[in-house]
Formats: sequence, structure tokens, C-alpha cells
Amino acid sequence: MIRIAQLSCGSEYSGVQGELEKAAEMVGAELVFPEVSLEDVRNVEERFGIKVASGDLNLAMARATRIVENPDLADAVFVATCFRCAEGAIVRSEIRKYIHENSRIPVLSYSFTERTTAETLLTRMEALVTTAKFKGLLARERQTGLTAGIDSGSTTTKAVVMRDNEVIGTGWVPTTEVIKSAEDAYNAALESAGVKKEEIQGLGTTGYGRHLVGKEFGAKLIQEEITVNSKGAVFLADAQRGEATVIDIGGMDNKAISVQDGIPGTFTMGGICAGASGRFLELTARRLGVEITELGKLAMKGDHQKVPMNSYCIVFGTQSLVNSLSAGSRPEDVAMAACHSVAEQVFEQQLQEVEVKEPVIMVGGTALIEGLPRAMEQLLGLKVMVPEYAQYIGCVGASLLVSGLVED
Amino acid sequence: MVKVMVYPPTSMILADLVERTGHEALVVSKEVRKKVNTPGLDSPPLNMTPEDPKKGLKYAAVDVPSGVRGRMSLLGPMIEEADAAIVIRGDDCTLGCTGCARTNELTRFLLKTKRIPLLELKYPEDEFQAKQFVHKIREFLEGLN
Amino acid sequence: MKSTKYVVTSQDSDVLPSDIALKIYELGREINVKETCFGVIIDGDEEEIEATVKEIRAMDPSNIFIKDRGFPPGDPRRCRGHRGGGARPGFYMMQHESEILPLISRGLDAEAKGEEVPPEIGTKKRPSLEEMEEMIKEEFS
Repeated sequence: MIRIAQLSCGSEYSGVQGELEKAAEMVGAELVFPEVSLEDVRNVEERFGIKVASGDLNLAMARATRIVENPDLADAVFVATCFRCAEGAIVRSEIRKYIHENSRIPVLSYSFTERTTAETLLTRMEALVTTAKFKGLLARERQTGLTAGIDSGSTTTKAVVMRDNEVIGTGWVPTTEVIKSAEDAYNAALESAGVKKEEIQGLGTTGYGRHLVGKEFGAKLIQEEITVNSKGAVFLADAQRGEATVIDIGGMDNKAISVQDGIPGTFTMGGICAGASGRFLELTARRLGVEITELGKLAMKGDHQKVPMNSYCIVFGTQSLVNSLSAGSRPEDVAMAACHSVAEQVFEQQLQEVEVKEPVIMVGGTALIEGLPRAMEQLLGLKVMVPEYAQYIGCVGASLLVSGLVED
Repeated sequence: MVKVMVYPPTSMILADLVERTGHEALVVSKEVRKKVNTPGLDSPPLNMTPEDPKKGLKYAAVDVPSGVRGRMSLLGPMIEEADAAIVIRGDDCTLGCTGCARTNELTRFLLKTKRIPLLELKYPEDEFQAKQFVHKIREFLEGLN
Repeated sequence: MKSTKYVVTSQDSDVLPSDIALKIYELGREINVKETCFGVIIDGDEEEIEATVKEIRAMDPSNIFIKDRGFPPGDPRRCRGHRGGGARPGFYMMQHESEILPLISRGLDAEAKGEEVPPEIGTKKRPSLEEMEEMIKEEFS
């Protein structure tokens, strides 16, 4: 049983403690509360570096120091505080950094409301458990044999076939019916690789539809996106050793992951609104009358500062878009403003919750919209790398990881 | 007999002193007891559910963190019921029901603005302070009769 | 209605938790008693508990303290053995206040004896500008 140490404030009183426990149980883990003494809580300033007004946050920090002193107490750490609590957000972030810097224990940081359910937390908990449980598998750096990966995403379904550490075939279709789309993408990948389905030694699935697709195709590995994307990103960016940051702006949610030696350290998943997702860029492309594949190139010629754009809501964002066009803004400026708006929300909401260390690798289909990584570079003041096959990142990660299971 | 809310609402010292003088101490454990004994509710450990922070909307707006509103759903009815209150200030061991500083501030504010007899004091640190502490509380409680 | 209470003894008390448990057994009421490091937890019908509390308090009025408890003793929803270890928050509060109990006991003793209450120590006064100037001169000369 994987032990996840819960360092939190407010979960019981928000009525969500049961949901946290349920999510942990669903992924084969249990929540534990490291023992600390009253003295540990009283002396938290000396031990951790700060004492705050809310006692339960001091207790959470005291528990963090216990874990760092005795890493055998937990396999993973879940730090959670109430959404909209400034004091909680500061402490949550400091605990995350403290654990990350002083131990090799994976950390998940989350802010909940009374509406948080076990289902919302499931993918995050699954990633946390995988990271803690399969360190050996995740340490794998080379793909061997002939394997495939399918990423059944909310907007698109992707597939790759890999042989001896090389991508030899790819397939990409918009997601309609989950299984049908997976089949189409997989067949396209097999065809472009020139291999038959029967020859594939192992298949890995990821993405929203991973369980359904995995079951249908007899996958050897069914894995959430945090783990496979981290692995796929560092593999394709040739950054398997040392630190890295992976940013994936998806169709429905975004992921920001601090990676150490190819293994997720801290990560966040989510996004306040569709305003910070691939959907908004799709909508922008449609409104500008260009293909989504052309939006990036158009944006590269534009200046985001010429168009005010609301980055917190797809409805208001679209309104800004329409208003600026009717006010005579140039399409290239609007395109760049849209990219900047999405990047800005990810930067403000999620990149503050992880350690941003170079190389910064942007993956997923949205990374190919050139304006988006450029906007991210401007915000971070760092170079952003977009590896080849960035849109197939989940498939590559799944294919790489499943080859480890085939060998075993 | 007067209903005296004590704060921290988990304080054994305050509850005990109140009940010694024949008054009723309003303490959070009685609220928790109601919750844990509610049949059909199964949301351990406190049997609080997402409905509780919604009940807390009576005391704090929706943009106040859920943990504050959830705690207020326990403490709010006690504040309403209170005829008097004794509040410890400046204590550094506040956990659980008093683990959130914002909730503590809001509770103190609501008790103050309710304009009921209110005694605020600090935990004693030496024997002199302890004698004053016990004496002040006794005087306050006897004055409520 | 059921009621659960902690009976806690101050460190200065000569009464042991086992003495309290024995007393309750002697009373012959239908009350569950669980000894803990702080004292005992008693659980039973509200009226019986109230009556018992009075008798226990009489054993050492200045050194025995009573507190309500939300959960019945050993409730798996709160028991750390069932819930991933770590003390429940109430435990820390109990420990914190237990450290102050000997002082409270002395306060209660003094009240019982009708001792005069010690005068309040005057609040600290800020030094005047002249005094401050003098201090700075002394320190930096």
C-alpha cells in the first residue's frame, strides 16, 4: 500500500476529507498523517522557517519537517488547502518547495472547494502513486522492441509506433467516438510504420479515454498523462537526466510538471477556465478564418500588446476577440494576443505551483502553435523548447514505458 | 442559568469554569456529537459534508474559503445561541476547529457585535496571572446571574 | 441522550485516573470508563453522566477538570489507529491546556480560600523621547 502523507488545512471542515480518502483508495493508496508533538508545532518557526496565524497550517508545516527528517514515513505527499485562502496558498507553496528541495518524495499540491470530488482528484492521485510506486519503470530511458502508444485525449486522439528507440509511425484524428477514433489513429500509425497490429509487442494507453481504449485493445500499460507526458517530454527533448519542466496545454486541461531525472516531482493539473486551453485557440482560429495549424505562424507576426484580451474566461476572451476585430485590430495581433492570453493564465495559475527549471519543454498539440511557446518564453524570460513529435508526447511516453513491461 | 460560549470552543479550562458556576458552556464538541450521531451520514471523521460549507454561507460569503464556511456552520449556531461569551486571545495553540485564523477572527467579531456580555483574556503564564484569570472569570460568570 | 466527557486531573493532583475509575465502578452506574494518559473518558446516559461528574469533581475540586467530547470513546472515525496515525487536533489542545492546569488549580484554591486577588501589573510604558535619547547616548557613546 502506497502511503500518501496528507498535509492540509480545511479539508475536514470543507466536507471533502471523505473524497480525498476515496480518491486515494481508488488508486490503491492510503492517506497518512505523520505523528508530530505539540512542541514540533510550537517550534515550527525554528524547524520550518515560518509560523503563521492559522494553527492547522503550522501543523501541516510541522508534519512536513517530520517527513524530511524521516522520509520513510511516506511514499508521497499531498499538500492541500482551501481555494481562495491566501495564507493557505503561501504555506502550501512553501511546503511543496520544502519537500521538493529536501527529499526525493513526489508532491502533489491542490486547492479544494466543497465541490471537490474524488473523481476530480483521481488522475492526480494516480500520477502521485505511479511516481511513488514505479520508480524503476519510470527510470527507463530507452524504448526497445516494437511497441505502440495511444493517447485518447478530449479533443484529439493520437497514436505512435516505435521501434528500437525511434518513432516509426504516427496517427492523429479528432476525437469523436472514443474507441472508433482510437482505432483510426492506431491504424494510421501502424500503416505509416508499415507494421501489422499483431507484430506490436506491447501497447500503452493514456489520456481521458485510456481505460476504455486500453481495455478494448488489450493494452499492457494504462497510465495517466502526468507520468507518460513527463517521460515522453524528457525523452524527445533529450533531457532525461537532471531537472526539467514540462508544460502541456491541452484541449480541456493543462499540466505543469517539475521533472527530476525523468520522474515527476511536483505537478499541477487544471486551469480555471477553458480560456486557458487549446479550445480557446481553436475558437480564435475559426473566428479569424484560418486553420489552427496556421494560427501560430500568423501570431508570430503580431504584437499582443496592441489587443487587450481577457485571459480568465473563454466567454469574455471571445468577446475581447470580437470587439478588437470590429475595432479594426489586425488579425496577426489578435492571434498573438490570444496565444499570450492562454500562456498568461497558465503562467499565473499553474507555473507558480511548480519549480520552473530549465529546460522548459512544451508539449501537446498546442505547442505547435508557434505563438504559444513564444508567449510563454516572454512571460518566463526563459527559452522554451518544443521537441519533434510534441503532439504525440503521451503516445511516445506510453510506448517507451510499455517497452519496459514487455522486456520484464 | 446562562448559555456561555467559550472560545476556543474546545477549551476544557473555560468550559469547566463555566459549568462550575452552574451555567451552560457552549462548546463545539456538543455540535460535533450531534453530527457524529446523525444516522445515515457517513462522512468521517467529523461527518461534515459539502452541505456544511453551504450552510456557512449564512455567516460568510461564497468567496470566503470553504474551510471557514464549514467551521462557521458549526460555530455560527453557537454564536446565535450564546447569551454571553468568554474568549481567549493571543493563544498560539489553535488547531482543528480553531485551526483557521480567519474563522477565529470572524467568530470574535460576531460575538463582539452581538453585544452580549463578553470577557476577553489571555491564558495565564504564572501564578499571579492565574489567580487574576480565575477571579475575573468567576466575577464575570457570577455577574450574569 | 448519550454523553461523553473527559475527566482530566491536574499534574498537582494526588488523584490518579485509576482512583477516578474505581470511584465510578463503586457508584455502580451504567457508565463506560476508559483510562487515558490525561485522566478518564466516561460515556453513558446524559443524566447519569451529569450526576457522576458532580461526585468525581468532589474528589479534588481544584484539580479535576471536566470537558465534553464529541466522539464516543474509541470511535474508529477518530481513533488514530484507524486513520493513518497522527493525533487528532483535539489532542494537542488537551495537552496544551493540561500544561496550564496546575496554574488554574492554584487560582481555584486561592478563590476557595478567599485570598485577595493580586493587583494587576501595570501595562508597560513606552520610554519618553528624552529617555530614549539618553539610552541611545549611553549605548553609542
